[in-house]
Amino acid sequence: MSTDERHQEEGAVATRTADAWVTIVWNDPVNLMSYVTHVFQTYFGFSRHEAEARMREVHEKGKSVVSTGGREQMEVDVQAMHSYGLWATMQRAGE
Amino acid sequence: MKPFTPAHGGAVAVAELDLDERMVVARIIADVGLLLSGESFGMEIPVHEDVEDEVFRHLRGLEEALADPTDPAVLRLLPNAAPTDREVADEFRRLTEADLRSLKVARLRRMWEQLSEDGPEWEVPADEALSTAAALTDVRLVLASRLGIATDDDAERLYEELAFASSAMAGEDTAGSPLVNPERVWLGMLYQALTYLQESLVSFMASEEPRD
Repeated sequence: MSTDERHQEEGAVATRTADAWVTIVWNDPVNLMSYVTHVFQTYFGFSRHEAEARMREVHEKGKSVVSTGGREQMEVDVQAMHSYGLWATMQRAGE
Repeated sequence: MKPFTPAHGGAVAVAELDLDERMVVARIIADVGLLLSGESFGMEIPVHEDVEDEVFRHLRGLEEALADPTDPAVLRLLPNAAPTDREVADEFRRLTEADLRSLKVARLRRMWEQLSEDGPEWEVPADEALSTAAALTDVRLVLASRLGIATDDDAERLYEELAFASSAMAGEDTAGSPLVNPERVWLGMLYQALTYLQESLVSFMASEEPRD
């Protein structure tokens, strides 16, 4: 968003900048559990234990929220997941 | 085919593929590169010299830049980032798709070049192991799409079909089992071989990482 647009929306700015977004990784039948764990460790800096817990959540529950933050950061995270061949999406938190 | 194992004190991972295996794997890598970029990595493809065609192709490229890829295999490599929010999905595609395509194509090309060297060894330096594993994922995603593997059950069924096919090839009694489609079996065996190679490469990375 440009600076001009920010000024025009004034009242919305506070909520807009505080907007929390999430990155979700979805289960798929192709990605190896060991690979997903390694990607989570390497990219998000999760411990092995944490990365395995997220991977199992993806595998067993179909999805896991792997990061939270502003929209731009989530775009970076989703792009990274796509670069590794993981199926990731982004949305506003709580949707 | 031998899986990746550490060599030179863990500085590289080395797998072994015979000449036929290398040719098949290099070919599918080039096919996926072609799907993503129109580049053929030195493989022979028909070249259209017609200038008008060329111009229209680029124009079509611009028009389609925001649309989801129509080939389901390409869509799996460049997924929709926000299926319920068109604005977010379009913005993401506009910002990232060109970079993602070129990164994926560069990784595929690197893998193709390694497999096009002489000798049975496929050497992957430790610091390229993750990008190689990512490129192998992309090839497996395309094969899985072509094989119709959309769910964990589909993957299970493929393994059953392949087990049946190898029993049939070994001359065992397979009456009452599903029919074998040779092309599907061939693609499925390639998918399994690449899965096996990727597993071993991920094991190599896990063995090299610092302990928590």
